[in-house]
Amino acid sequence: MNIRWYHFALWAAFMAVMFALPEFVSRGTLRTVIFANFLAIFAISWDVLSGRTGYISFGHPFLIGIGAYTTAILTKRFDVAIEASIPIAVIVTMIAGFIVFLPALRIKGSYFALVTLAFMELMYQLVQVIRPDLTGGTRGISGIQGITRGAVNGYYLSLTLLLVVAVTVWLVMRTRVGTALSAIGMNEESVRGSGLDTTKLKLFAFLFSALIAGLGGAFYAHYVGAIAPRALFDINFLFTIIVAALIGGAATTAGPIIGAFFLTFLLEYLRPYLPGAERYFIYGGVALLLYMYQPKGIIALLETMKDRIIRRSST
Amino acid sequence: MSSPLVISNLRKTFGGLVATNDVSFSVAQGESLALIGPNGAGKTTIFSQIMGELRQTAGTITLFGNEISKLSTPARIREGVSRTYQVPRPFGEMTVAENIRVGLMPDNIWHMITRSGNADRELELALSVGFSEDDLKRTPSELSMGDLRKLEMARTMATGPRVMLLDEVFAGLTVGEIAQIAALIQQMRKDGMTFLIVSHDLKALEPLVDRAIAIEQGTHIAEGPFAQVMADDAVRASYLGAA
Repeated sequence: MNIRWYHFALWAAFMAVMFALPEFVSRGTLRTVIFANFLAIFAISWDVLSGRTGYISFGHPFLIGIGAYTTAILTKRFDVAIEASIPIAVIVTMIAGFIVFLPALRIKGSYFALVTLAFMELMYQLVQVIRPDLTGGTRGISGIQGITRGAVNGYYLSLTLLLVVAVTVWLVMRTRVGTALSAIGMNEESVRGSGLDTTKLKLFAFLFSALIAGLGGAFYAHYVGAIAPRALFDINFLFTIIVAALIGGAATTAGPIIGAFFLTFLLEYLRPYLPGAERYFIYGGVALLLYMYQPKGIIALLETMKDRIIRRSST
Repeated sequence: MSSPLVISNLRKTFGGLVATNDVSFSVAQGESLALIGPNGAGKTTIFSQIMGELRQTAGTITLFGNEISKLSTPARIREGVSRTYQVPRPFGEMTVAENIRVGLMPDNIWHMITRSGNADRELELALSVGFSEDDLKRTPSELSMGDLRKLEMARTMATGPRVMLLDEVFAGLTVGEIAQIAALIQQMRKDGMTFLIVSHDLKALEPLVDRAIAIEQGTHIAEGPFAQVMADDAVRASYLGAA
């Protein structure tokens, strides 16, 4: 594992700034940051699977939604304690992750993406039709028990979750398994030709991704207090997750975090000027420009800047 | 001791096309065997069947006495056979060191996470195929075709094979690069590696092999010392286009 002292210094600096943030920003901004934290978790989850292995998932809200619905149903309908409902939600989401993994045994590329999109659509329909007494049908579930009260506590909870997820993913991806998953994204046949069972590796990526999606989805449900099929299994939500990972820098851990913050604040600051869905045109345009200029995302731009500064200071 | 590689009555059909037609041969320990034939003769198809990338229609493949015909490609590699490809298949965004690292990885996710890699072995393999220490940080886009073939050799060697299948190992190389790869193969032969080699560069191939097998349209047509096979009328007619 190639870890240097400055990696820890960067993580420590990020944590220090983030933990001090409530002292410097308004409660409104803090609530926006909470959404950015959750989007970062979802984007990291997508990236573990799609950014690394190249198996593009268009159905990630399917996994997030299962985590959210499971914990909401358990706590609201069956009075299960949150301490138990969240782990159960994560396990159920991992089982769903295994179901999404099955098509990946036989198909890849755009076919796989379409199949995962079908999973999301299927879930959208199912939660409205099957047992609406449990799922709340088209209205969804409201009045979900919260874990914390107030913006500051909610912020610290979401931040802690983001840090635990990000540092864990970062540590795992620094090991050889991260190299192997990235290798699958570059040339799966060559990975098999190097003696590695790609089915096992992909299963690991799918389950790890589902674990994060389930965890994020469950905590998100308890934070917002209400979930509805139209909001969760939504194409805009899906593309926001994907664009956050890509705009920040896929196959990295910092990239999806940077992308999530960039997108959340971009959309938030556009709100007064473009209150409707037109905002998505702007962010689509920004994303397009960034891809044309730097397809590897903001993180690659930052690295280029860093290299230039180092070169200038050494000459 | 059983032969490292025994191919018995191998047959592969694609619909009505017979790509491998009842081919049998074996490779002895430490032997280097050339597999020759014109384009489309079915040489690479035989390689793909040995590695499990294609499943044979009939016949068996035995490696060190163990039947491997039903094993997956990674399982066959663990049994001790590995191959290179006509067109090198590097991991494009990884460095030379990382490419070699993939070949060195254990097929166990827990060990991948908890145990560190062997940087010394990565360097050793890179140096053995002719890279310098500085080359470890280069990416495939910065490498020549010769370097890409060397990288493919290094990653194949990293999997720890006892039998290596080299497919068109000299294609697209300069004279100097051919000499470099040939020297590497000779060194590995001295170290006891068993080879099955496909190449259209017969001049470069001849000094590297003990025997040759010629195939045409998937059918075994001649076998013996390299010069004898090349002088065979059937081989000349099919492979060299001579009457």
